[in-house]
Amino acid sequence: MKIAYTHLLSHIQEKPSIEMVSDKLFQLGHEHEVEGNVFNMEFTPNRGDCLSINGLLRDLAVFYTVNLDQKKYTESIDKLKIDFENLSQDICPQISFLKLEIDKIPDTYKGCLNSYFLDLNINKNNFFTDISNYISYETGQPTHCYDASKMNGKLTFQELDSYQEFETLLDKKINLTKKNSVFLLDNQVINLAGVIGGKRTSCTSETKSVFIECAFFKPEAIIGKSLKYDIQSEASHKFERSVDPACHETVMRRFINLVSEHSNIKEMSLVSYKFENITTHRIPVNVSKINQIIGINISEDQYLSYLLKLGFTINDALITVPSHRSDIKTQNDLAEELARAIGYNNIPKIELTIPKGRASNNYEIENKLRFFLLDQGFYEVINPPFVNISSDESIKVDNPLDSNREYLRTNIINSLLDNLIFNERRQKDSIKLFEISDVYTSINNKTHRVRRLSIIASGRAGHNYENFSTKINIKHLTKIFHEALPSENFDFQILTRDSLNTKIKNEIIGCEIDISNFSSEVLDYKETSKSPGNFIQYQPISELPCSKRDLSFSIKDFTKCKSLEDYIFGLKEELLKEVFIFDYFNNEQNAEIKIGFRFIFQSTDLTITEAQVSNIMSVIIDHANKIEGISIPGLN
Amino acid sequence: MSASKDITPPELIKDRGSLHPINHMKDSIMNLLVSFGFEIVDGPEIETEEFNFDMLNIKKSHPARQMHDTFYVENKLNLLRTHTSPVQIRGMLERKPPLAFISGGKVYRKDDDATHLPMFHQVEGILVDENVSFAQLKDLIYKILYSLFGKDVELRFRPSYFPFTEPSAEVDILSREGKWLEILGCGLVNPVVLENCNIDSSKYSGLAFGLGIERIAMLKHGVTDIREFYKSNLDFLSQFK
Repeated sequence: MKIAYTHLLSHIQEKPSIEMVSDKLFQLGHEHEVEGNVFNMEFTPNRGDCLSINGLLRDLAVFYTVNLDQKKYTESIDKLKIDFENLSQDICPQISFLKLEIDKIPDTYKGCLNSYFLDLNINKNNFFTDISNYISYETGQPTHCYDASKMNGKLTFQELDSYQEFETLLDKKINLTKKNSVFLLDNQVINLAGVIGGKRTSCTSETKSVFIECAFFKPEAIIGKSLKYDIQSEASHKFERSVDPACHETVMRRFINLVSEHSNIKEMSLVSYKFENITTHRIPVNVSKINQIIGINISEDQYLSYLLKLGFTINDALITVPSHRSDIKTQNDLAEELARAIGYNNIPKIELTIPKGRASNNYEIENKLRFFLLDQGFYEVINPPFVNISSDESIKVDNPLDSNREYLRTNIINSLLDNLIFNERRQKDSIKLFEISDVYTSINNKTHRVRRLSIIASGRAGHNYENFSTKINIKHLTKIFHEALPSENFDFQILTRDSLNTKIKNEIIGCEIDISNFSSEVLDYKETSKSPGNFIQYQPISELPCSKRDLSFSIKDFTKCKSLEDYIFGLKEELLKEVFIFDYFNNEQNAEIKIGFRFIFQSTDLTITEAQVSNIMSVIIDHANKIEGISIPGLN
Repeated sequence: MSASKDITPPELIKDRGSLHPINHMKDSIMNLLVSFGFEIVDGPEIETEEFNFDMLNIKKSHPARQMHDTFYVENKLNLLRTHTSPVQIRGMLERKPPLAFISGGKVYRKDDDATHLPMFHQVEGILVDENVSFAQLKDLIYKILYSLFGKDVELRFRPSYFPFTEPSAEVDILSREGKWLEILGCGLVNPVVLENCNIDSSKYSGLAFGLGIERIAMLKHGVTDIREFYKSNLDFLSQFK
């Protein structure tokens, strides 16, 4: 909601700067952006009472001298005769109707009405709707204006539970379904209560005679309607957060005053219905409780002075909550009021001592298992549980994001298979992934939860000279897992590539096991991987293709071996993404070492060219050729 | 040219994997809180409306309960938890005060755009004892955030609203660029929630806090697009060794 700084300022005696007001609004918990001279406010859902100039001023009154001195019509008003029936009094316990007729529609606006449209850059509509909008901005109470000449017949308010067609005053045709609170004129919907009025009875620029409706609707009846029918409605935003049930008389008299400032009123009459008394909340004065909740030591006088400034009244050791503060019911609510007034940041800390607890054993086992997998070169992944494949045990999402995410997965391995293909398409030739997650199924209408570990691997066994030539296979993985965890049955299987859209032929090995009752023997495993000590600064990754080059060296002077390694691993080339030794052979008979390096190049912004790679490789080759005792077979 | 007989082969660099950065961040925070004295409690991701909303004082009319915000499953019988707070309810029902425990894990909300995902991670904590105060909550939050971001970090407490805490606060940290960034929500446990868990609110009070793991991980690692965490791209994951 946008609120102009100048509109607040005209009611604050101290005339604080916009920065000072902004600071105080933050202290009170009212988030906002400052846009020129306008506060773009975002209120918490419990503070519907702040959705107006007066609402914010009531809160700012804890810091400043605030005058809510807007002029109101003070004379007596004739009683309006209206054929109205309220069939849902529980939803609308208070409602008022005001009938006004003016002799001339004004050409221009003056005073606060003019400032409202000018300062907030709002488009005008028609005279009565413009005043209604301003009244909502000033007081927080939405009103609705019906063109009186179109209001012939019986008016009814009720919660309908049947299909109805309805055309809004913004020409949008909607089909009302299920329960909706509506106003009907001779059984035709003319207003979706608390959200938007209808075209049939709407005011126009010609309207001189109006019925103004001012109501209190229970928020539960309004919530979700504007979203359901895709209607932007400031009124529903306010009604959903609750409005002041006791403000009707004031609001109507303010309405009359604004109209009278712009035109002669030929006729006016008012009627108010109260189907339910307004509940007044009273809370005992208990400053020691308040001090305990916040952790401060404030005197009762100080405490009550803050509450008085916020509009609370105190009588006979009871605090009466103002009618606009439907969010205040308990001592904790009052403690928050005081804490806001003092400022959360001004409340001193008090040291907290916590009795020592202990981590559950499940986490110890699970964490050990994860570090074991890290040691074997596996990367941990996390996948969302939503899938489009169902089985008899699948749990269906009633309101999925889309048809591809209609069910909860009954296994993890299929997610890992997708992850594997994703990485193969990015030229990864050694892929080892695992995921530990809860998996949920429905068996005989009962929800079952199982903690599972799923593992998948394919391609080269590793990127070092011992494993580079070995392809991951069942034997390889079973050996590694059995040696470390002999009593657990990791049942590795070859997963078919038949349904996968890929030309790669490497075997995919996977397994998935229940680890809910996993053996504690894993706790004996001595991992070498550690959790990263620092939080690494991530470098944006490239989606461009990479280029690979292999280079083998023959080394006769073994003392040069280390310097070659140091040179290659120390290369600082922006395009060189990775380098590793994929081959190493000590031919003792020939007194020769053969060492092979793989270079992987990738650019972050452009597809790498053959020439770029060749240039870097030439530098490496030139350097190596200059080292006595090192040669490059095939080049020399 | 004579060659040494004692040849040391090149270092055999073993391929090591990495923890997922979100799990690493979650574990780091949970380990920190365990070191403070909190116990770890676990709970299911499929929850009832009673535990996810009712017991937490989230009224039937609250927008979060609508189909557009919460994933319902099994013909609306259950739902995917929208926060880890139902674990706090389960924990309080199973224990007697004084108590202090944390829970962490996946939570689900019906969002899917560049800044929101339908699945994300939270860590929440609760402490219930006699005379727990907002000033003590502030002390705990300072300790947590100093541990995570260093003692130079500037904090700001703002009043906020959560149905399950009163008073409620959101805490911001000041970024290097001078911008306030929301980092966690906290408050004193609403006495209604304590009573719902059979805890005498005239004798006991509690504090609670919750952190969004993705947000903190993004800040700590400099990741700007939340979706990167869940692509399972090895180029991404291999950076977090």
